[in-house]
Amino acid sequence: MRPILTAALVAAALPAGAAELRFASTTDPNTLDPNAGNSAPVFSLLGNVYEGLVRRGRDMSIEPALATSWEPIGDGEGWRFNLREGVTFHGGQSFDADDVIFSYERASSEQSDTSSWFAPVSEVIKVDDYTVDIMTSAPNPIFPDSIANWMMMDAGWAAENGAERPNIEQGNYATTNTNGTGPYMITERQPGLRTVLEAYDGWWGEDRGNVERAIFQPVQNSATAVAALLSGELDLIEPVPVQDANRVESAEGVDVLRGIEARVIMLGFPHDAEGLIAGGEGNPFTDPRVRQAVAQAINVPAILQTVMRGSAEPVAQLMGAGMRGYTQGLERPAYDQEAARALLAEAGYPDGFRFSLKCPNDRYLNDEAVCTAINAMLAQVGLEPVLETMPVANYWPTLRADDHDMYLLGWSPGTFDAEHPIRFLLATPDEEARLGSWNFGGYSNPRIDELLPMIQSEIDDTARQAMLDEVAQIQLDDVAYVPLYVQPLIWGVKEGIEVVQRPDNFLVLRWIEMG
Amino acid sequence: MPDLTDSSRAPGATPAPQPSRWKVAWDSDIAYSFRRSPVAVIAAFVTLLLVLAAIFAPLVATTNPFDPSSLNLMNGFSRPGVPNEFTGETFFLGTDDQGRDVYSTILYGLRISLFVGVMAVMFAMVLGVTLGLIAGYVGGWIDSLIMRVADVQLTFPSILVALLIFGIARGIIPIEHRDQMAIWVLIVAIGLSDWVQFARVVRGATLVEKNKEYVQAARLIGRKPGAIMMRHILPNVLSPVLVIATISLALAIIAEATLSFLGVGAPPTQPSLGTLIRIGQDFLFSGEWWILFFPACTLLALALSVNLLGDWLRDALNPRLR
Repeated sequence: MRPILTAALVAAALPAGAAELRFASTTDPNTLDPNAGNSAPVFSLLGNVYEGLVRRGRDMSIEPALATSWEPIGDGEGWRFNLREGVTFHGGQSFDADDVIFSYERASSEQSDTSSWFAPVSEVIKVDDYTVDIMTSAPNPIFPDSIANWMMMDAGWAAENGAERPNIEQGNYATTNTNGTGPYMITERQPGLRTVLEAYDGWWGEDRGNVERAIFQPVQNSATAVAALLSGELDLIEPVPVQDANRVESAEGVDVLRGIEARVIMLGFPHDAEGLIAGGEGNPFTDPRVRQAVAQAINVPAILQTVMRGSAEPVAQLMGAGMRGYTQGLERPAYDQEAARALLAEAGYPDGFRFSLKCPNDRYLNDEAVCTAINAMLAQVGLEPVLETMPVANYWPTLRADDHDMYLLGWSPGTFDAEHPIRFLLATPDEEARLGSWNFGGYSNPRIDELLPMIQSEIDDTARQAMLDEVAQIQLDDVAYVPLYVQPLIWGVKEGIEVVQRPDNFLVLRWIEMG
Repeated sequence: MPDLTDSSRAPGATPAPQPSRWKVAWDSDIAYSFRRSPVAVIAAFVTLLLVLAAIFAPLVATTNPFDPSSLNLMNGFSRPGVPNEFTGETFFLGTDDQGRDVYSTILYGLRISLFVGVMAVMFAMVLGVTLGLIAGYVGGWIDSLIMRVADVQLTFPSILVALLIFGIARGIIPIEHRDQMAIWVLIVAIGLSDWVQFARVVRGATLVEKNKEYVQAARLIGRKPGAIMMRHILPNVLSPVLVIATISLALAIIAEATLSFLGVGAPPTQPSLGTLIRIGQDFLFSGEWWILFFPACTLLALALSVNLLGDWLRDALNPRLR
């Protein structure tokens, strides 16, 4: 009786044709501050609330958002953005060039997690109230592609609430409150429990479905989420566990949407550590033979066959096929326990050594099971990994604090371009130049550092691809990371709901049409 | 002087054989009540079987699931009794997602569950009995202090207390020792959440005993309070402690399973029964029922039989029910 009553009340409260969407995911965005968490769950949710100068369309192409058009300045000195007029924030403030300048300063500040996006930027100039010039230190043909997640915030609102700069560790007003220009406003936020979004009537855009109200709740246990989807308690869940996809598919009233996510799951090494946190003196991982041994000890096909149930693709570089700048023809080092043992012996570790292996247990598909399997495979060639798994809320701080030896990382190139993982994961960490901000192991290779600015400014596609291929080959030969597989994208949706599934795993509420 | 110690012997007869210890035990009230209770006999049998299986796990198990180098991932998700489609190996209770034999993993998991349970109860018992004795015997503000702490703790569910202690311990213990310490943290967490029962019962019994003549006599001849508590009062308050300990053991095993189920207990590379159930729960919908089912049955059998034994012991030691 009670659910029927609630449903009737909700129906009464919403205008005709409007619908309510209840959706769940394993990970709760750890912040609502668009500059305090450079991760997909944060941008996926906030992409409905905040907007950038540009945005990605259904086919991932860049399209106008708060800028109506843009063109290069001179001979590649920068980009001019013409801003949309008549846009208002949820709080009623109007949007203009000052907000862009403020958002640039905030997003590129030292305290921001997104500052590396602006590494190529030398200056942002207000031309008039609705024109902004973004100058780059070198020609940067892909710059507009790289700022789709750079979200515009209101300068006045941030100043009023003491949130002019993000605060990753302690949080501030912007961690739990939002004021964007997007099609939805967050009207209720209980971290870890529930987030409610409601349509913003003053939104400038047209292209919008009939979701009037959306309720997000994180459900850490995916079996629970599946049960809730099947019982009709939820309308959309992401992800459906690989092991349950077939069952959900055959169930009545629900559909499964499958795709390939842009995310590569990989193992990282402590390249610049003096010693290991769970071992003795010295750091064996500085020897490329040891890293090669790790790569050869891992039976990726077996992991994909059992843990991932055949629904993921192995990969030999830091991004999946289909991204711009993908290198053709690379192959993973073959699984070979004998070769791995021989390499370890050659490097002077015939009896292995002890080290810690850290993993999240609520971030990627079956992450804990994958790590337990890797733990066993490394033990089989004589190494002594000590596995520790933890929720993602503890995981990022642990990695940032350099409290790790080997670790698991998933990376989805936000720009859908091969340059992105090079800038974040392979470039030598440099806070000033805002490079290598997710290179937790401190990998450093002078040739890659030399190639990165050249890749960023190269306009000729063939020349650019040659340099990208060179980096991919260096990463493979030097085993900076061990790329494992490209994660599949599996969503469960109630029948009659039309959803667009983008390879970056973002859920765009305004594209949802509920029957 | 007549022989007062043996009045049964008739003059001139050969001395009757001394009844053996076994005979004494067999004839005791407890043993009689035990023989008369089929539930107790079955419960004791099941408990004994599981305890022996846990102790001799390395001999009884077919593989060692805690040795990661012996695992073959391709054995993962083998159905019970059906040869694996890739490796052709057969596991009669099936395997989990890592290719661990469920039967062997249950045996090794049982070890962890029983070890944690027994150690946690011992810890709770020593702590609770000591504090209860002191509170009951010394009285005054010490009694008030101990019992108020106990009252406050009783208002929190014990699993919450255990979670709290677990969280604090994780914060204190350096990361490289956490894996080895995880089991001990579990023991302390469960033990600390469980001492109140012991303290309350022992305090009550001590209050009764301390005014009896034998205690007053001991005091009169000048024995120290510590000695009186340990040598005179303690043996006389032990039987209710035994009952609580048995029932607490069942609860501690379940508490360990709950904590591991919530993902804060035993590490994933050394699964206890609770961890196995947590892992198995993820595969319930996809039809791999055996990963959850067999560990859950084992946990049920263990907790139920220990609990039934505790129930029987309580009745057997209760003079009013004889």
